[in-house]
Amino acid sequence: MSERVPRTGPRAVLPYAAAVVLLCALPLYLEAYWLRIGLFAMAAAIGAIGLNLLSGGTGQLSLGHAFFLAVGAYGYAWLAGEPGPGLPAPLALVLAVCLAGVAGGLFSPVSGRVRGVYLGVATLALVFLGHHVMLNAEAVTGGYNGRAVAPFTLLGFSFTSADPELSVLGVPFGAEERLWYLGLALLGLAWFTARNILRGRPGRALAAVRDSEVAAAVLGVPVARYRSAAFVVSSMYAGLSGALIALAFRRIVPDYFGLTLSIDYLAMIVLGGLGSVAGAVAGAAFVTALPLVLTRYADVLPLVDEPGAGGQGVGPTEAARYLYGAAIVLVLRYAPGGLVGLVRRTPAPGRRAAPAASAPADDGAPANAASPSVRPSHPKESSS
Amino acid sequence: MTTALDILLNGLALGSVYALVALGFVIIFKASGVMNFAQGSLLLLGGYLTAVLHEELGFLPALLLAVAATALVAGLVDRVLLRGMDPRHHHILTIMTIGVDILLLTELARRIGGDLLTLGDPWGNDVLTLAGVTVPTSRVASITVSVLVIGTVFAAFRHTDWGLSLRAASEDQEAAALMGVRLGRVRTLAWALAGALAALAALFLTAFPAPGLERTTGQIALKAFPAAILGGMASPPGALLGSLLIGVTEALAAGYQSELSALGRGLGDVAPYLVMIVVLLVRPHGLLGTKEAVRV
Amino acid sequence: MSQGPPPPLRVTDLTVRFAGLVALDAVSLTVEPGSIHALIGPNGAGKSTCFNVLSGVCRPASGSVRLGERELTRLAPHRIAALGVARTFQNIVTTEGTVADNLMLGRHGLSRAGFAATALRLPHAVREQRAHRERARAFAGLTGLGALFDTPVGLLSYGDRKRVELARALCLEPRLLLLDEPVAGMNGAERERMAGVVRTVRAELGLSVLLVEHDMGLVMRLADEVTVLDFGRRIAGGAPADVRTDPEVVRVYLGSPAAPAAPAAPAVSAPSGAGAVERPGDASARARGAAAPAPGTERGDSA
Repeated sequence: MSERVPRTGPRAVLPYAAAVVLLCALPLYLEAYWLRIGLFAMAAAIGAIGLNLLSGGTGQLSLGHAFFLAVGAYGYAWLAGEPGPGLPAPLALVLAVCLAGVAGGLFSPVSGRVRGVYLGVATLALVFLGHHVMLNAEAVTGGYNGRAVAPFTLLGFSFTSADPELSVLGVPFGAEERLWYLGLALLGLAWFTARNILRGRPGRALAAVRDSEVAAAVLGVPVARYRSAAFVVSSMYAGLSGALIALAFRRIVPDYFGLTLSIDYLAMIVLGGLGSVAGAVAGAAFVTALPLVLTRYADVLPLVDEPGAGGQGVGPTEAARYLYGAAIVLVLRYAPGGLVGLVRRTPAPGRRAAPAASAPADDGAPANAASPSVRPSHPKESSS
Repeated sequence: MTTALDILLNGLALGSVYALVALGFVIIFKASGVMNFAQGSLLLLGGYLTAVLHEELGFLPALLLAVAATALVAGLVDRVLLRGMDPRHHHILTIMTIGVDILLLTELARRIGGDLLTLGDPWGNDVLTLAGVTVPTSRVASITVSVLVIGTVFAAFRHTDWGLSLRAASEDQEAAALMGVRLGRVRTLAWALAGALAALAALFLTAFPAPGLERTTGQIALKAFPAAILGGMASPPGALLGSLLIGVTEALAAGYQSELSALGRGLGDVAPYLVMIVVLLVRPHGLLGTKEAVRV
Repeated sequence: MSQGPPPPLRVTDLTVRFAGLVALDAVSLTVEPGSIHALIGPNGAGKSTCFNVLSGVCRPASGSVRLGERELTRLAPHRIAALGVARTFQNIVTTEGTVADNLMLGRHGLSRAGFAATALRLPHAVREQRAHRERARAFAGLTGLGALFDTPVGLLSYGDRKRVELARALCLEPRLLLLDEPVAGMNGAERERMAGVVRTVRAELGLSVLLVEHDMGLVMRLADEVTVLDFGRRIAGGAPADVRTDPEVVRVYLGSPAAPAAPAAPAVSAPSGAGAVERPGDASARARGAAAPAPGTERGDSA
C-alpha cells in the first residue's frame, strides 16, 4: 500500500516477466504429478489472496473460508454440469464466483456487526452449516459421495486430455498442462485485482477500518458497509478458487470443505505474511505442496522410524502436519512478517519489527502503556 | 423410547460438559483476549492421559494426574509461546493457538490411531432410577461434578486474589498492571485452570453412553465455541447459560430428529451453530456480553 | 475551495451519561463561522466526550448539535464527515503506509472509485484518484509535509505525525475542524509551528475551528472565543481575556491567578496524550472523587 504509483520501466517489470515466462514454460518440462501440485497451489493461492484481503487487509478473522470455496466449487459443478442447467463453462465459472459473492453478502448482517473472536466463531458456523447442506441437498451436491465436475471448455477448446488432441514442442498436452494455463491466467487476474484493491481507495478504507473503526468512520468511511464488502470480495476470490479446485479434482465431496481447509487458508496467509498478496501466494504454495511433496519423497526421507513414537511411524501426512503446525507457531513467534517479511528488505528503522518488540518485558508491565497509536500493527507488508 | 424428560436430562448433562469447556474458553479470553483453539486438543490430551494411566494407577489417581498434567501443558503453552508477544494482537495469538492445536492434535491422533480407549471410570454402564426416570449414573455424576467444579470456579472468581486480578485484567489490562496485578501470573493460572477443566470434561464426554475416547473426541470443543460466544465471551455466567442452551438444543434436535427430517439428517450437530447465529444477529456481543468500550 | 462562510455550529443543552455518570451536563456553545473556538477544562471535564458527540462517535442523552440547519446528533460518523466536519484525535491514529496513503483516506468520502473499478484499474477511477492525490499533495504542502508526502508514517517524528492527522482532516474539505489537543506532547518549537499551521489553514480555507487544548498560552493566543468546562458543566465562556480572569476559572485551575496563563505541561512529557499532562487542578478534581467520570470516558481512552 505504501506505493500507489505503479513502478514501471524495464527494471521493475523484468523479474515479473521472467517469472511469467518460467511459469509458462514449466508444463513442457514437468510431469503431470508436479503440474497437479502446481495447479492446486495456484487454486489455493487465489483463495488465500481473498482471505488475505479480509483478514490481512481488514483485520477480520474468518474460519468460514472453506464454505465459500465450497459454494464456488459446487456452484460451478452444478451450473456447468448434469444434473444442473449445463451452462457453458466460462459462464458457469463467472456465475459461481458471483454466487460465492452473494453468499458472502447474505452473511453481511453478521459480518457487518459482529467483531473479533465473535466473528471468528460465527464464521465457524458457516463451515458446519455448509457441510450440513452439502450432505443433505443431494439433488445439487450429490450428498456424501459428492458429484463429478464438468470439464472446462472455452470456445470449443476442452481442458481435458483430448478434444482437440494437442502437443506442443513434442510434449503432449493433457488436462494438467491445459488447466495449468487456466490456473495461471486466473491467478494472474486475482493477483492484479487484489493488489489494485489493496493499494487503492477501497484498500485504504479497509486498512483504516482494521486500524481503528472509530477513526475510519470519522474520516468518512461507512464502516459496516466496508466490513461487509470485504467479506463479499473475499468470498468471490474463494469462489473462484473453489471452482478451480473442482476442475483440478474432477470430483468434489463435502468432507473436503471442512474446518481443516479453513484453517489451512488461515495458515497460508499467516505463513506468507498478513496483508501481502505475494505472501498469500507463497503461503499457499507452501501449505499445499508440503504434504504432497513429503508423500512423494516418503521413501527417501528419514521419516518412518521417528523416535519416541511408541513403535508407530510418522507418515508423510503427519510429518507435514507437524511441520506446518510448527511453522505457524515459529513464524508468528519469530518472524511475524511471514515468508515475505523474511525475503524482503530488513525492517525499516522505526518500524515495529515484530509485535514482540513492543510487548511487556515482564509480568505486569503494561504493554507500552502510552502507545501513541492504536493500530494493531499486524506485521503487514505492502504487496508487491 | 425417548420422552421429553429424557431429552431434557440428556441436554443438561451435555450442557454441563460443554460448560466445563466453555468456561475454559471464557477464563482464557478474560485473561489474555485470546480464543483458545487448542482447547480441543488439551481435552484430548487429558482424556488420553487418563486412559493410559488408569490401569496402572487406578482411576482416581490417573484422573488427578491427567488433570494436573493437562493444566501444566496449558500453562506451558502460555508461558513458553504466548508470553512476550504483544497481547493486543489477539488475531495473531489466536492463530498461534491453532498452530499449537495442530501440533498437539497430530501427535495425539497418531498415538490413539483408530483405537477406542476407555478411561476406567467407576460408573461403567450403571443406571439410576429417579422418580421413574432411568438415567445412566455417569450422567448424574457428570452433572454433579460439573456443578461442584463450576461452583468452585465461580467462588474463586469472587473471593480469591486471582479471581479479582482476573476480573481487573479483563476490564483494563493497563490499569490492572498499574495497580500491581501481575498479569503474567494471572494469565498462566487462567490457562492452567482452563486446561484442567478441559481434562475433566474429557472424562464425562467419554463415559457411558458414549463409546469411549477417540481421536476425534476433541472436536467437541467446537461446540463449546458457540456456547461461549452465545453467552458472551467475557461472561462466565454467560458461558454456563450458553452451554445449557446449546446442550438442550442439541438434545432436542437429536431427540425430535424424525419430526425435523425436512431439515436434513444430523441436525443435532448444526443446531448449536444456528442458535448462535440467531443470537449474534440480535446481540452481537452475546446474551450476557457487554459492548466493548469505544476506544479511539 | 471555500464555498462562502462555513455554517455556525450550535450546541444546545447537550447532556451525555455513561452508566449513570454525567459526562456532559446541559452544555451549550456556539462556534461562530470562521472563528477559532477553544474548549478548555481539567482532565475529565468532558471535552473529549463533547468531541465524540460532535463527530457522531457517541450519542447524547439529550440536547442538540446543529451545523447550520442540520441536526448532527442522529447521524452516523461518516455522514457527519460528509457534511464537512473533520476531526483529529488526542492519541494519534494513523494507518500504515505513507503520508499520501493517510491523506488519501481523508479523500475517501469525496471520491467514488469502488472495488470493481479499482480492481480493474478502469481509466475513470485511475484519473479520479490521480486528481485527488494532487489535492492531497496540496494539503501536505499547506501543513509543511510536502517533502514527506511519500514517506511511511511510521518513520515520521511525533510532531510530523500530528500534522499528518491535521492534513488528513483537511483533506475532507471540512467547514468545521475539530482539533483534539493538537500540540500535546510537542516541544516549544513544534507547538509554535502547529499554531502557525492552524492560523494558516483558517485564513486560507476559511473554516471554523473548535479546539481542545491544555496549553493555555497557545489557547489565549490562538482562540477568538473560549468555553470552559468542569465536571461536564460549562462554567465560563467568552473572549480569552475575560475568561482568564474569571474567578470560577481561576478556582478550577487551582488557586494561583497566574495558573491559567502558565502551562504546567512539561514540554518533554511522554509523547502521548494518555493523560501524560496532569493539570494542577486535576489532583483536587480527583480528590473530589465521586463526581468524576469513570475512567474510559475522558482520560486517555475516549479520544
